[in-house]
Amino acid sequence: MLTLLEQLDKGFLWQSPGGIHPPQLKTLSNQSAISRLPLAKRFIVPVPLVGEQAILTVSVGDKVLKGQALTEGSGFTYLPVHAPTSGHIIAIEQHASNHASALPILSCVIEADGLDTWCELTSNSLEQLSKTEILSKIKQAGIAGMGGAAFPSHVKLNPASEIDLVIINGIECEPYITSDDRLMRDHSDEILAGVGIIHHLLNPQRIIIAIEDNKPEAAKNMQAAIERSSLPKGQIRVTVIPTKYPSGGEKQLIQIITGKEVPSGAIPAQLGIVVHNVGTAYAIQDAIYHGKPLVERVVTLTGENIAKPGNYWLPLGTTVADALQAVDFKPSTQQKVIVGGPMMGYALADLDVPILKGTNCLLVPSPEEIAPDTTEKACIRCGECAVACPALLLPQQLFWHAKAQEYDKAASFNLKDCIECGCCSYVCPSDIPLVEYYRVAKSALKTAAEEKHQAEQAKIRFEARLQRLEDEKNAREAKAKEAAAKRQANMKSSDKDAVAAAMARIAAKKAQAESNTSVSEAPTVTTQTAIDPKKAAVNAAIERAKAKKAAQADTSNVKAADHTDALLDNINADDVKTDDKQAKVAAAIARAKAKKAAQANDVISSQTDAITGSEHNKDQVTPPDDKQARVAAAVARAKAKKLAQAAASSSATDPIATPDANVPTESTDATDASADHSTEPLTPSNTIEPQTADSSVSDKQARVAAAVAKAKAKKLAQVAAGTSATDPIATPDANVPTESTDATDATDASADHSTEPLTPSNTIEPQTADSSVSDKQARVAAAVAKAKAKKLAQVAEDNQDQSLENQHNEQHNEQHTEMSTALSPEQAKKAKVAAAVAKAKAKKLAKSAEQEEQ
Amino acid sequence: MTSIFIAIAVLSLLALVFGVILGFASKKFKVEGNPVIDQVEALLPQTQCGQCGYPGCRPYAEAIANGDHINKCPPGGTATMEKIAELMGVDEEPLNAEAQSAVKKVAYIREDECIGCTKCIQACPVDAILGAGKLMHTVIAKDCTGCDLCVEPCPVDCIDMNPVETTIQNWDWKLNTIPVKVIHSEQEEQAC
Amino acid sequence: MAFKIASSPHVSTSLHTNTVMKRVALCLIPGLVVQSYYFGFGTLIQLLLAVSTAYLAEAAVMKLRNKNIKATLSDNSALVTAVLLAVAIPPLAPWWLIVIGTLFAIVIVKQLYGGLGNNVFNPAMAAYVLLLISFPVQMTSWIAPQTIALNHADILSSLFSIFEFRHSFLAEHFQLSIDGTTMATPLDTLKTDLSMGLTTTESMTKPIFSGMAAEGWFWVNMAYLIGGAIMLKLKVIRWHISIAILASLFVCASFGYLISPDTFVSPLMHLFSGGTMLAAFFIATDPVTAATSPRGRLIFGAMIGVLIYVIRTFGGYPDAVAFAVLLANMCAPFIDYYVRPRSYGHRTGN
Repeated sequence: MLTLLEQLDKGFLWQSPGGIHPPQLKTLSNQSAISRLPLAKRFIVPVPLVGEQAILTVSVGDKVLKGQALTEGSGFTYLPVHAPTSGHIIAIEQHASNHASALPILSCVIEADGLDTWCELTSNSLEQLSKTEILSKIKQAGIAGMGGAAFPSHVKLNPASEIDLVIINGIECEPYITSDDRLMRDHSDEILAGVGIIHHLLNPQRIIIAIEDNKPEAAKNMQAAIERSSLPKGQIRVTVIPTKYPSGGEKQLIQIITGKEVPSGAIPAQLGIVVHNVGTAYAIQDAIYHGKPLVERVVTLTGENIAKPGNYWLPLGTTVADALQAVDFKPSTQQKVIVGGPMMGYALADLDVPILKGTNCLLVPSPEEIAPDTTEKACIRCGECAVACPALLLPQQLFWHAKAQEYDKAASFNLKDCIECGCCSYVCPSDIPLVEYYRVAKSALKTAAEEKHQAEQAKIRFEARLQRLEDEKNAREAKAKEAAAKRQANMKSSDKDAVAAAMARIAAKKAQAESNTSVSEAPTVTTQTAIDPKKAAVNAAIERAKAKKAAQADTSNVKAADHTDALLDNINADDVKTDDKQAKVAAAIARAKAKKAAQANDVISSQTDAITGSEHNKDQVTPPDDKQARVAAAVARAKAKKLAQAAASSSATDPIATPDANVPTESTDATDASADHSTEPLTPSNTIEPQTADSSVSDKQARVAAAVAKAKAKKLAQVAAGTSATDPIATPDANVPTESTDATDATDASADHSTEPLTPSNTIEPQTADSSVSDKQARVAAAVAKAKAKKLAQVAEDNQDQSLENQHNEQHNEQHTEMSTALSPEQAKKAKVAAAVAKAKAKKLAKSAEQEEQ
Repeated sequence: MTSIFIAIAVLSLLALVFGVILGFASKKFKVEGNPVIDQVEALLPQTQCGQCGYPGCRPYAEAIANGDHINKCPPGGTATMEKIAELMGVDEEPLNAEAQSAVKKVAYIREDECIGCTKCIQACPVDAILGAGKLMHTVIAKDCTGCDLCVEPCPVDCIDMNPVETTIQNWDWKLNTIPVKVIHSEQEEQAC
Repeated sequence: MAFKIASSPHVSTSLHTNTVMKRVALCLIPGLVVQSYYFGFGTLIQLLLAVSTAYLAEAAVMKLRNKNIKATLSDNSALVTAVLLAVAIPPLAPWWLIVIGTLFAIVIVKQLYGGLGNNVFNPAMAAYVLLLISFPVQMTSWIAPQTIALNHADILSSLFSIFEFRHSFLAEHFQLSIDGTTMATPLDTLKTDLSMGLTTTESMTKPIFSGMAAEGWFWVNMAYLIGGAIMLKLKVIRWHISIAILASLFVCASFGYLISPDTFVSPLMHLFSGGTMLAAFFIATDPVTAATSPRGRLIFGAMIGVLIYVIRTFGGYPDAVAFAVLLANMCAPFIDYYVRPRSYGHRTGN
């Protein structure tokens, strides 16, 4: 019994199962030496690892030199990408990939300068470098398997286990392809030098260069090169194996050379065997001895539709279209452009894709050369596929299950061991595209496996979260208990303090509640400073909850009462203890008012002149608040959405929520304005409309209103451009609708609101909202409002013609301030009266303004 | 007379023997827990979205085992429903009204609109949203189950549910879906 | 123009299903010629009837199933079924026999199961069994080989016989001559003789036997063997099933013959009489209904061989090819399920 090594030395061969003998057609392209094509103008270098393992080191416009690394990264399987020629990066974009799917991937587009200048290259000899340095150099040169799979070579050269046998794969079993054949014929010494480096790194017992017997010249040249080389004589040999497809497959080659089978799911290194392509050996040699990264490769351009078929050195990144054009490609109808060989290659959908490290052949056959387009017929279970299968699978069973989409059953027939060599499809008398079925099935299985993994992961995370929440809850309870115990212990000593605190809390609550309805700035500020902000937040939360309850409350009874007052009273007295009925009524009235307001707006839309002034004011407000406004706008949008949903489900609009709408609405306009044209002005009338939309129940109305508002805003913008003078009467005029909307709010803020552009007091209004909106939003909104108020104040000061209205407003304001300062439940009525007065005044003002304008 | 006694004795003996065998079998082959629940749970997509009305996938699996409808899992889609139907031996039911197509989705936060409210973080059943108060949040895409639960709480509506993009890695090899670029051939030109 | 996208591989062999089927039909020609030489033109008339019925039936079913009629007819599978049935039934059987058989084979056995590739049973054999069970008299009345026959069955008499023109004067004339020529098949004769207490040697002295095998039948089988050999050479079929049938039948027959040459028929007689060769090369090798893996096919073939022997020797029917094939068809899925080849890189088949 001979040992394996002795058998290897004798060139003993084993039989690999299956396989086919398709016509070789290699003479089409292997008759002449490898040559070069003129340099293309444009190169596409895909950088797929960017974002995962690597970052780009160049940006658009940078000048790059040939061989310059474009990416930087870490990770075991990371490979840098290099510029294939010197030039400029003109784009970094998603570009169609050289892949069967043609899906776009991130790519650098390089415009060549035509000089093809190399970056600085350092050549070394083996003695200068340690093994780690050699490996690092191979990695930095970006060398990947050149046989087609493009697996990073440094990984295979740094195996975990001892390597006994290195097989240099010069089989090239696919028909048509001759790139390795020509490389072995023309550059045998360089390949041997590369093999020497592999030998140095792995120190195997034997190296076998395997070549099929249809390439006798290549075998002869390699044999001669071995004799010339300095490698130990007994350890390296050329083994010629009989031609059969797919002998060049890694697993099949190992079986033929050693008789061993690579276990399913394992890699050859576990058998102590490593297989490298001859092209890889050449590239390794280039990287170490010349310092050149992998920027070009030999590509077989063949097929009957190419006038000059042959092998060419093509820089990686050359587009397929450029390469084919350079060899006089004449497309026929229904042309297939195949990357790789006819057995395993894929047809391209788009020719503007780059040559990659694993692109060994471009085949452009004439229709006569390849299989005609045939329809799939019924499988007659002839079993020819099973005979041809080199992986000893049962293709007809796999097909049966793959077609029925019973992928788990297909998997039980070892679908994953299919190497997609295409032998089964080749022999199939029924023209069934078996490999296609397997690929679909495989990707479905892969997706299923990933989903399963994700589901498991999600379950783990879900349980971890539950655990965490539980822990937090327990911790909180423990803490609360502890605190309670402490408090009890300290009760006696700080009895008074506690009582005082409680009192303070109650007072604060009251103050807060009042501040909700108060109109003037002073009390609000006082309350805000007086009470603990935390408590305020708590209050706000309570109110929110109540508001929600009120909204959910059943509202069956409609009573046309003086709802606004009642509601107001209610709020003041009972700290927002909303009566269902009242809430409902309020909602109904609010709706009606909103409608009116919308109509009023329509009227106003014609009064463009009048609005100009206020618009002018607002105009100035908009830009500084841009970001906040955007945020607020988003809030408003969300709310509008929710409101619309609520409107759809229930007829009752949350009466307390309505005032909230104030805040976002304003900001919505700010955004609208800034989004459309940053100069587009904001008008009070504009402000109101979205509000109207918010409070109105049907979203149709809202939409209409929004459209009107937009139109108005545009008109206003035009007017603003035309007129620079401020119309004194305009301001109050424009405020008319504001009032009506404010009435919707069911607070007496209305009158105050009408003065909004002129007085700083409108700062309060968002604060009113504070109680019902989440405080963060409110704060944002408040900031917006504050800024606005400030600007308005400035404008007001500057404005010369505001005397009358201003005075009125101030008076009115004062009244209000007085009323609201005296914030007690008893005085709520007074406040109400004041509000009514204010309202009436505002109306008058509006009317007079209108008349004056006319 | 004796034959009656014999019959009774034999039958009693048999009853005893079989009783012992049954008792032994029930001990020996005792099944811990309810395996059906585990099987159903394995079929559910584990999005923990709660759209079925139960707090998570396991509770729903338990409910199915107890006879609840099998059509309440929108993330699983029809495929999951069919598998459960097969497992439980019940008829397939059309999915609930709100059940969408089973296109896998992933949440995406429009980061310049996020106000950092942490509401989505609290809503996420699998802790796949990263962020802190007042700071922008982002979705850990690989852990996102596409359950939709974060969309509703967002006060600024800045969360989108995007379908998972097809990349080279997860491409399904369906060749007929590839758009083909059209160019002119010389032969066609000659023919024209 | 658009670039064409198709899955690899982009090349394929030229051996398509229709070619395979055509070659099977062509390889039946030697047997057909020899059979016609010995048994008259009846077989050819039956052939014409069967083929036309088969094509019409298939076209009709395709029309009903809304499928492409031309594509289906051009796969030639109906042709093969028709030819096999035509050579299997007695040459002078009445015309409705072959028509019923062909209709049954095409419509029920093949198309109702989903068409080519989906049928469980070999259509020709299923139809043969149907006819054999339903019309035993007609199905067992073979005419004597013409070398030993009293009257010669020419085209006209065959036609009259097949189309049953019994009432015309002419027909009566021919009928007489035909009636004189019908007789049991050699295997039938042997079986009857054995049950009557004769030894095989005694029985074999009858004129229907010549030497070691049956007169005529030997050469018919020989012709089918040649046809089969051509198919093997053309790689239309693989050797596994045929060789397994012949080998197992030979082994069984030899075993019995060695034990008791007087009561058991000789292996040669088994191999070269009845439909042995036809079954071994043309019927059992129908890929649709056979096992698919090489090992599975060996088992499948061996099973048929044993069944043929067992039924011929101990069963009620003189020839057992059809039953054996159908029984094996039933087992094919099981064979396929349990006989899986070991995949590359796996230790066991499963």
